[in-house]
Amino acid sequence: MPFSLLVAWRYITANSLQTLLLVLGVSLSVVVFVFITALINGLSIFLTQETTSKIAHIELEPANKIARVLTNDNRFVAQPVSTLQRKQIRNWQQVIEIAGSTPGVSVISPIVDGNAFLVRGEATQPIAIQGVEPSKVDAITNISSYIIKGTAELTTGGLIIGADLADELGLFVGTPVLLKSERGAERLLSITGIFRVGLSSLDQRVGFLSINVARPLFDLPDGITSLGLKLDDPADAPAIAKVLQNSTQLKSTPWQEKNKSLQNATDAQGRTGNFIQGFTLLAIIISISSALLLSTYRRRAEIGIMRATGISRQFVATVFIFQGIFIGALGAFLGAAAGYQLCVKLASITKADGSSMLPIAPSEGGYMLVIILTIVGAALAAVLPARAASAVDPVEAIQQ
Amino acid sequence: MIYNTSSNNISSDTVSNNTVSNNTVSNNTVSNNTVSKVAKSKTNSTLLLANNIIKTFRNGEQETFVLKGINLTIPQGKMIALQGASGSGKSTLLNILGLLMRPTSGELMLLDHSLTNLSDAELSNYRNRHLGFVFQYHNLLPDFTALENVAFPAAATRGRLTADIKKRALLLLDKVGLSDRSNFLASQLSGGQKQRVAIARSLINNPKLVFADEPTGNLDQDSAKQVMNLLRDINQTDNTTFLISTHDNSVAANCDDIVRIIDGKIADV
Repeated sequence: MPFSLLVAWRYITANSLQTLLLVLGVSLSVVVFVFITALINGLSIFLTQETTSKIAHIELEPANKIARVLTNDNRFVAQPVSTLQRKQIRNWQQVIEIAGSTPGVSVISPIVDGNAFLVRGEATQPIAIQGVEPSKVDAITNISSYIIKGTAELTTGGLIIGADLADELGLFVGTPVLLKSERGAERLLSITGIFRVGLSSLDQRVGFLSINVARPLFDLPDGITSLGLKLDDPADAPAIAKVLQNSTQLKSTPWQEKNKSLQNATDAQGRTGNFIQGFTLLAIIISISSALLLSTYRRRAEIGIMRATGISRQFVATVFIFQGIFIGALGAFLGAAAGYQLCVKLASITKADGSSMLPIAPSEGGYMLVIILTIVGAALAAVLPARAASAVDPVEAIQQ
Repeated sequence: MIYNTSSNNISSDTVSNNTVSNNTVSNNTVSNNTVSKVAKSKTNSTLLLANNIIKTFRNGEQETFVLKGINLTIPQGKMIALQGASGSGKSTLLNILGLLMRPTSGELMLLDHSLTNLSDAELSNYRNRHLGFVFQYHNLLPDFTALENVAFPAAATRGRLTADIKKRALLLLDKVGLSDRSNFLASQLSGGQKQRVAIARSLINNPKLVFADEPTGNLDQDSAKQVMNLLRDINQTDNTTFLISTHDNSVAANCDDIVRIIDGKIADV
């Protein structure tokens, strides 16, 4: 063992009560760091999961028609684009094959969607219809888990709507209702299920029916309007969307683009967390630095003797740096362990519905980061005391 | 041991002449015994040479001359007492000769090497390799055992408390009669024991010259006698040179030579 390490260890164990208090102080800061990190990450994970579990991770749609500018005899000519042409994906089976072979894609659901009105007597409400394959009704949004009345099974004449919309129109399971599509087609359907997701945009505006029922309503006998994709990891959506855009030439939109407010919110949370983490580290550095600085004054005579006997400044400085590292390491490991236990305890507290009281993620406490930062911070905190110690004048110190 | 009372700047040649000349000594009131000691010292090699050492301290605009041109030659193997009243410059001289303080001007040579232009790190290295220190208040490290205290200067320099350092530390503790206290913390030792540990520590790197600042000043009569006997024993058996700053005339009487400082100048023997 290097002798400086032995000396540092002897110094911090010599006054065990002071060292214990110092280590506890560092640990407490580390616990705060871990808690904040686990809470912010947990909140971000919770919000992301909440969002991504209900929407497509990537949406493939026909590309927008863009007027291109061509040159002709040194003159710019705008190419006319037909707006009469219907936007649809005709070769969707091929697209499914391409998307299906793309790594990271777990589920593909062809969708025929469009706007319509739901008419019940004289009452009319707008509705966004999602025509999906009956076997894939849960592929994008796990509607089955949100059904509060009826069933999620999509029958030929069945329609599943949100609870808010059902309330608006006074609809119940089994109630017949008329659906008028934006293409002018009409069909009498029966409410087979009512869901409540918790997002008013879904509960108030969206209805699900079989894709085969949707086709004539939206005048799409062959094509589809979009493909909804689920991924193994929603975070991969931007990269996979880019790959799919290149391979299918369709407009490929990752969920993050359609939920920028969520991204902004989690980013803001992250920044807030960074501030708190930064201040926590600062508190660690200041506490270690001040304690070691006091120690250098208390041990001035001893340091003077060391210097008088020809022991180098570097050795003296190293002893204090090692003390900082010891205190930082002890506090970091103790605090990380205590922080983890705290997070596990808090995560286990549940509400009446069984969900966690705090969206905390014990595994996301940034343990390695906080341990490294604390040890590095502690070493940096020891620099000032180490410099002070190494600068002790042996003559003055011995005469004290 | 040769000394010079002149406060004038003198060249190395002058110092050299002084070193070999009885003239300087005979100009002073010395006994035959002292002269014979000096004559004997001529056969010893020069260990430390101080040439016209001047030390001033500045307090604002005021500059105080503490040492006013000290010329001193310390030969190998001597035990020399340094005496002087408080404020005479005795401690300052000891600090300068011990390389703990730089002189304002003048030259120091240790083992024929000039120390004038050495860096702090190089001076530390010289202190560690060639000099030993025993202080009045023993100044042991209280959180370390007697063995660790003795081994400290060597272990810190080498980076590890090696088996051979431990062996030598034990040997030195045995020499000072404390081998049975090797694992005692410094705080568990008596004043006399602490001072003996400090003496053992000063010898760990086998120094040529040991500076002892009032080594018996804080001890009772018996312990003081033990310590002085120990220093004398080490001086005679290992040929280690001692420069002992002391107010105690009985300690000075036990030394080969006495250097008296009065008002920043070397006076007489």
